[in-house]
Amino acid sequence: MLYVSQMQNRQVWDAWGNSVGRCADVLIGAVDRNFPPVKALLLRGDARDNGDRFIPASCVSSLYPSITLNVPQDKCPAYSPTGDELRLLDRVLDRQIVDTEGRRVVRVNDLQLARVGDQYCLTGVDVGGRGLLRRLGLEGLGQALARLLGRSWKTGVIPWEDVAPLHQEDPLRLRVSHDRIVQLPPADLAAILNDLDHHTSAALMETLSNEMLADALEESPAEVQVAVLSHLEPERAADILEEMDPDEAADLLADLPEQTSEQLLSLMEDDEAAEVRSLLAYPEDSAGGIMTTEFAHAPIGLRAGELLDYLRRSEDARDDEAMYYIYLVDEYHHLRGVISLRDLVMATPDADLTPWIDLDPVTVDPYTPQEEVAYTVAKYDLLAVPVIDPETNALLGIVTVDDAVDTVLPTAWKKRLPRFF
Amino acid sequence: MKTLMKRFLKAPAWLQRILFYLSILGPGLITASADNDAPGIATYSMAGSTYGYRFLWLVVVITVGEIVIQEMAARMGAVTGKGTADLIRERFGVRVTAFAMLCLLLANVGTTIAQFAGVAAGTELLGVSRYITVPVAALLVGFLVLRGSYDNVEKVLLVLCLAALSYVVTAIMVRPPWGEVLRQAVTPSFSREPNYIFAVLATIGTTITPWGIVYMQASVADKGVELERYRFTRLDVMFGAAWGNVVSAFIVISTAATLFIYGINVETAEQAAMALEPLAGAGARYLFTTGLLGASLLAASVLPLSTAYAICEAFGWERGLDHRSREAPLFYGLYVGIIVLSVIVVLIPGIPLFPIMWLSQAVNAILLPVLLVLVLKLVNSRRVMGDWVNRRWQNILAWALTGLIALVTVVLLTSPLG
Repeated sequence: MLYVSQMQNRQVWDAWGNSVGRCADVLIGAVDRNFPPVKALLLRGDARDNGDRFIPASCVSSLYPSITLNVPQDKCPAYSPTGDELRLLDRVLDRQIVDTEGRRVVRVNDLQLARVGDQYCLTGVDVGGRGLLRRLGLEGLGQALARLLGRSWKTGVIPWEDVAPLHQEDPLRLRVSHDRIVQLPPADLAAILNDLDHHTSAALMETLSNEMLADALEESPAEVQVAVLSHLEPERAADILEEMDPDEAADLLADLPEQTSEQLLSLMEDDEAAEVRSLLAYPEDSAGGIMTTEFAHAPIGLRAGELLDYLRRSEDARDDEAMYYIYLVDEYHHLRGVISLRDLVMATPDADLTPWIDLDPVTVDPYTPQEEVAYTVAKYDLLAVPVIDPETNALLGIVTVDDAVDTVLPTAWKKRLPRFF
Repeated sequence: MKTLMKRFLKAPAWLQRILFYLSILGPGLITASADNDAPGIATYSMAGSTYGYRFLWLVVVITVGEIVIQEMAARMGAVTGKGTADLIRERFGVRVTAFAMLCLLLANVGTTIAQFAGVAAGTELLGVSRYITVPVAALLVGFLVLRGSYDNVEKVLLVLCLAALSYVVTAIMVRPPWGEVLRQAVTPSFSREPNYIFAVLATIGTTITPWGIVYMQASVADKGVELERYRFTRLDVMFGAAWGNVVSAFIVISTAATLFIYGINVETAEQAAMALEPLAGAGARYLFTTGLLGASLLAASVLPLSTAYAICEAFGWERGLDHRSREAPLFYGLYVGIIVLSVIVVLIPGIPLFPIMWLSQAVNAILLPVLLVLVLKLVNSRRVMGDWVNRRWQNILAWALTGLIALVTVVLLTSPLG
């Protein structure tokens, strides 16, 4: 295998065996392909004929074990860069890239080239320990050690098609990366945005849609949310908060300094902001703090078909992300009963639903501690539990099972980590 | 966090103001407080008690040096949004990075050892064995950082660090000859005596540290300071550096005024605590231990973490506390390894605590030029910094400091007893 680190600063010879200079960089084209071809080499002249010049790949006869040209030096045309090449040594080697298969940010220890047909192509990125040792000149030692331990030594090379190089100075290149990065699950996307340095992460976020960022943030621990949001302009941050579930948005805002959260709330649309504000009034670790106000509800007394029709027209039902249950309320918005979506769907359209309605559902009040909510949900095998205002008896929202068990899971302590790390 | 803030809001107005100030002060204050961590207090006490006011000029020089260098680190963080290790790797490749990270690791392990030595010295002064307190402190630090609400703890520790202010009060109480103090502060004095040179190195090394640079850059980069607002960060950084050194100077003055004049050269915590007796009388040792513990625990919680982070950043290994230990084995391995190694060293029976602290700081100083040279190259690169490269005067000062450290190191290593 040929590695770019082996070409770095290597002497280049022409067809007559004269030294032409040293290899200072390798340019590849068609970066979005799986095997981008080598387009040119950048040669740095020896001291006497100073100056850098580009040699087109068509003049190169071999890259390894030594770099040789297939023409005499003076017959070699100059290559003029077209601007869409990627300079491997300058822009990729030692930089951070996103491994879209492993879904993490890694550093490029080396780059692997291979001869495909009549041209050299970039095939993979070495992000493993072997690449590091090679750069330190210790690859042989590592290999000997591995043999001594009787283990095969993995190379840690990722195919080029599975990586996304990142350059905030280079919008064109970011486009390619963007196409690969948007396919990541939202939680991984947020983690990657958090792992990247500030400028790159901000540049990447420019290319992502508000919905995508909102999804990513909802899936992230609080520290990541705060960090990612702080990279954004306040107007954009407010737009993204509107896209998020109100309970998630409220949680996030609660983690921000009061001044910042006030500013963001004032930039949000009035009704969205009002909803979030009402949630913010409750302690973060209570039912009120984790409930969502977007859930399917309907007036009590409808028949199955009517109820389904009602739900299809209801905006609240449309915003309900899970809709395990339909909450049936009277004109004062008091909870009168709960029916599971399953039972509703199975009933014939003109059936009276009363036998399937749970008329005395388990509820919690907004100040119930989160742990108790989790306990309730587990004890009664619920997928969501309604939250009732103890004074007015009005139905305020619901806590879904995933939000309820958040504290019990080990991820929860992450919310209290130092900001820096 | 919220409940703590509520408690703060009930506090009297003056206290509220102080706490508010603490809450907005950033990395500047933390690094400044870390100037007066356990090895810091040990080194300044040693210097002041052994050489009197003669050391003050060095504190002045170091103050200027620290301000210039910390500002450079903060500026690199603000402009690039990247950590020091990240920039070194991208610019200088694997070999240089490996060498720089090795130096950083050595320096930081030494300093972490010194922090736990501080915990040992402070608590043994109160009669509690180090075999109890050091492991407890290590567990506490590990637990707080990995599991706890670090933000609150940091504030508590910063408040404990205020105990170092007692040196300022003491120095004023004992009425030192201020004319003489000022004269010495502006008159350089040299000596080729190895002990003196060693003390110079330790004093430099405890104030301007490799980890201070790395930590400063990382925290500014992490906060994502807008360049238009960078001047506020610069103010925080410069104020923090200056403030830390004012306290250092007062440690030198008070130990000079209370111990040097009686010919007591500090070699143990007991002697060092005596410097606070004019202020606190019999309570001096409690005051001394409070300051020592606050600063040591603060530094011990930041140091191993920022070291592990920088090294993993340089080599592209998974890092950060939002990864689980299975995902980031090297990060957590380094973190735990540094703490465990430090604890073991401090618990070696009969190991002298104060000399370890000085030695670690001298090693810091000797390793510092490696990082300084790389940082200076980076901060002068237009490709990295754009228009934010160093001004000429900044370069002159920074190179002069680097040269000074290198020169002192050479003198020490070639001196007969070195």
